[in-house]
Amino acid sequence: MTADVVPAGERDLIRVEHLRKLYPVRRRGVFRSRQTGEIRAVDDISFTIRRGETLGLVGESGCGKTTTARAMLHLIEPTSGSAFFGDVDVLEVFAEGRREDTLKIRRRMQYVFQDPYLSLNPRWTIAQTLLEPFRVHRHVPEADWHRRLVELLHLVGLEEYHAWRYPHEFSGGQRQRVGIARALAVEPEFVICDEPVSSLDVSVRAQILNLLVELQAKLRLTYLYISHDLSSVRFVSNRVAVMYLGKIVEMAAVDELFSHPMHHYSYALLTAIPVPDPDVPAGRSVLVGEVPSAMRIPQGCRFHPRCPAATEVCRTVEPPLAPAGGDRLLACHHPR
Amino acid sequence: MTEAPAAAALATAPPARPPGMWRQGWQRFRRNRTGMLGLTLVCIVVLVALSCAWIAPYEPNDQSAMMRFGSREGPTWAHLFGTDRMGYDVLTRVLYGAPTALAVGIGAMLVASVIGILIGGISGYLGGMADELLMRFTEFFLVIPVFIVILAVVRLFGIVVVGSPLESIPYLNLMTIILLLGLFGWPSIARMTRAEFLRLKEMEFVEAARCIGATRRDIILRHILPNALPSLVVIVALGIGGAILAEAMISFLGFGDPKAISWGQLLFFNYEALKVAPWASIAPGSAIFMTVLGFNLLADGLSDAFNPRLKQ
Repeated sequence: MTADVVPAGERDLIRVEHLRKLYPVRRRGVFRSRQTGEIRAVDDISFTIRRGETLGLVGESGCGKTTTARAMLHLIEPTSGSAFFGDVDVLEVFAEGRREDTLKIRRRMQYVFQDPYLSLNPRWTIAQTLLEPFRVHRHVPEADWHRRLVELLHLVGLEEYHAWRYPHEFSGGQRQRVGIARALAVEPEFVICDEPVSSLDVSVRAQILNLLVELQAKLRLTYLYISHDLSSVRFVSNRVAVMYLGKIVEMAAVDELFSHPMHHYSYALLTAIPVPDPDVPAGRSVLVGEVPSAMRIPQGCRFHPRCPAATEVCRTVEPPLAPAGGDRLLACHHPR
Repeated sequence: MTEAPAAAALATAPPARPPGMWRQGWQRFRRNRTGMLGLTLVCIVVLVALSCAWIAPYEPNDQSAMMRFGSREGPTWAHLFGTDRMGYDVLTRVLYGAPTALAVGIGAMLVASVIGILIGGISGYLGGMADELLMRFTEFFLVIPVFIVILAVVRLFGIVVVGSPLESIPYLNLMTIILLLGLFGWPSIARMTRAEFLRLKEMEFVEAARCIGATRRDIILRHILPNALPSLVVIVALGIGGAILAEAMISFLGFGDPKAISWGQLLFFNYEALKVAPWASIAPGSAIFMTVLGFNLLADGLSDAFNPRLKQ
């Protein structure tokens, strides 16, 4: 598990290396607390995102997808690891905390939040919300704020008159458009989309996904798209990384992964997608049992207690994430 | 701040502004009968306090009724609420008690709010050790028998001040009471502020602001505090009623400001003549009752109006 697993190159915009986020578990005594364990939310993961592509990050709830994304933008402090944006280790810059430097990074990396009902300040009009980035970064002269504001609204499919409304007057889809506009206000190159459609009605999901894809082409954006919804991941992503219990278990181009998953966990995830055709036999879940607690991660391959192909070696040796033909990276002793 | 440039940028804003949080709250509040009753009572007290110099039939220190042997006189056309044992017109004295009551209530809660929001805000936002320490400090203030401390301090301070230049400050005693009520009234505000800050600082819109790069000051003052205000307004309204009642009790025990006209003091002067001249006690007593009831009902209505679970 070293840098040679993750080939660096000109085409890479983002390179995450050995990112870890541990949460200590404490038992509180009368006078002091004692650390009794730790939750390994993100356990030493490395990946790259190429310029202009969308990397899909999938996995069950609680596997560390969102933690990874938030740690990359220092919304939570990672325990260790680095995240390079070009040549700059953004986590180091955030840790140093020099305001001009962090603002430079904030301008290039942005975040679209999961729940547009929670991610907009309920007391602010849309205009106030969207002008906040201008106020913070001052990258647009004040005379142009109004023009840029209208441009932004049009960019995400809203109208000028929406600017004076409050979030509660909007539907979920419209709110998420505002959330996207706020992220785009600083003209970033890289946007993390953290389950941007999972809290929306099914009917508006496609609109928002189409908008994201359109914007990517128009503004040459790079996305990290996080979701547990595989069909949306398939729609927007170029490559997909599958996460299980804080580790990436398989990473491949989207078509390769969906047509031929090599990790048993990826396979189980894919067969769990419902197919809207009564003649196709329902995919039987090959998974048994529950996801183990992130406090007690199994020895060896962390998937072995639930894996149909597990053998002795899986119980003792943790498989490294290694190239497995073509563009694929895989962490499995007995690939399918 | 933002408002100015934003307003400049949005010079073409349409005239009809959609309802914001406060207006929505008001619309819900208007349908709440007890809340509206509370607001009416409070409005009456405020109007009386502002206009007592014009609507009162006599000067507050006019004892001329004594000249006609008219002390403890029952209600007549000349003295609608009668006169008390020192020949004051009861109605006049009760009207002049309103500004004192409001000054006590609002002044004490102003002091309490500043301390409470500061301590609660720091505690909730920083968390960890600072939170532990500040909350233990707050609990310490909660267990002090406030009333006894105030009585002791008022009396001791009253003695210490004699002969010093401080003595010439008007209403010094009343201000001491206001300050002390504020200094002991903040723990509930601090706890509410802390709870709201704890809730709000984890909200996604606060994270979004951090993600944009907003400063900590902006996040606290422009994102978290405005969203915590509705809960704080409720607790402050409740506190105003409490402070008025506390001042009335202090004055009733004879520890009040002898120069200020307060309802509690009127009771203190007249309760001995309760059987002979009940009007002199009933009038200020009712005034206290109505005012405190008004603020409590108002607080109740506000808490219903700002409660999102009742949103229709």
